Amino acid sequence: MQIDVTHRPGNSAAKVTLQPGETITAEGGAMIAMSGHMQVETTTHKKGEGSIVGALKRLVSGESLFLNHFTPAGAPGEIFFGTALSGDMMEYNLNGPGLMVQGGSYVASAPSVNMDIQWQGFGKTLFSGESMFLIHLTGMGPVILNSFGAIYPIQVNGEYIVDTGHIVAFEESLTYEVSKAGKSWLSSFLGGEGLVCRFRGQGTVWCQSHNAGSFGAAIGPSLKPR
Amino acid sequence: MQSSIEGGPAFAYINIDLDPGETVIGESDAMSSMAADLDLDAKFNGGFFGGLAKAFLGGESLFVNHFTNNTNGPRRVTLVQGTPGNTRAVQLNGQEYCLQPGAYIASTPGVTLGVKWAGFKSWFAKEGLFKLTVSGQGTVWYGAYGGLLEKDVDGEYIVDTSHLVAYEPQMKLNIQLAGGLFSSFFGGEGFVTRVEGKGKIIVQTRSLSGLADWVNPRLW
Repeated sequence: MQIDVTHRPGNSAAKVTLQPGETITAEGGAMIAMSGHMQVETTTHKKGEGSIVGALKRLVSGESLFLNHFTPAGAPGEIFFGTALSGDMMEYNLNGPGLMVQGGSYVASAPSVNMDIQWQGFGKTLFSGESMFLIHLTGMGPVILNSFGAIYPIQVNGEYIVDTGHIVAFEESLTYEVSKAGKSWLSSFLGGEGLVCRFRGQGTVWCQSHNAGSFGAAIGPSLKPR
Repeated sequence: MQSSIEGGPAFAYINIDLDPGETVIGESDAMSSMAADLDLDAKFNGGFFGGLAKAFLGGESLFVNHFTNNTNGPRRVTLVQGTPGNTRAVQLNGQEYCLQPGAYIASTPGVTLGVKWAGFKSWFAKEGLFKLTVSGQGTVWYGAYGGLLEKDVDGEYIVDTSHLVAYEPQMKLNIQLAGGLFSSFFGGEGFVTRVEGKGKIIVQTRSLSGLADWVNPRLW
């Protein structure tokens, strides 16, 4: 399996080249083009295991209910993945420690990668206004993630704060808590920052430069009611 | 203070490294990430009445955030505007600068934000009845949806409505038809802004209202 991210950063797409028998699993709706001999199987869960409960959990996390599994038949094949918002994509190779991915940033992964949804608690989700659902990826193999805007990594050594709308993914070695941005709750809400994620420990957080919620708030008032 | 604009032109964001004791002021919701030991305080945007005026007239937030480094080493805060697009920094040395409502992202403490009556012509040009002015000493970061074109004007220049982002205060704005009656309305240009005077103007290559006009007919 070979992954190349092209058209970065504005209109990035991930090109995945598969050998016969190799499979890539992707979020429903992510495929933009592929070889004619690609076999597609659609399930609500990871191929060969999982349940409808897992699929429902994925649905509430902002991902699609369905996963598609692409396998070229007989000869090597290729497939391109894209996303709705303009922005960058990244490839991450899982090799031991797991990765926590913000709901909505997941695009695709190898079948050797396991996925589980972790819900961050009702109160936190309600107040942050973001889907603070995280997808917990474990196992071995490549993962493709997307962002709204550019992706910049932060090496956390101690403590660092990231706005909940700007998280793409972070290493499992980091602990985190959803908390206030300022010294007081009043300051956090008046200042429009609301809830932020406070990371502790050592590891990398990948941030997206832009916040889809903020862009929605900017364009929303100009759109006619549906 | 060290600062750099990264990710431009499509996804510009601002990295600001504050030295001990330094403060930077950012508009509401501009913070994307920051060192955990920076102090964040929400304050009225220029006092209670000043904040109200800027919020309701200047298209800015009622509160702004003050990021202060009370540690003994440099600390980073990353700020970004709500829309994808480019960002610029302007150094003020006593002069004034006019911004389109909503364009302001951040500034250093020596900069004063104000709102001024821009007139019905400006409102007609979809630039707002009031304009945001920045003055004083220091750095102002501002941005817009799309790329930012810089143009030295000497005499007059025409800008499509809702595309003017920033201009020097001596520039006069006028509204007019793009061409004759027929070409203005059937050619899709409608009204345009005529900028007169001598100075720099900044034009955004896209506009949110243009995007909304494109999306709206497609919503059912």
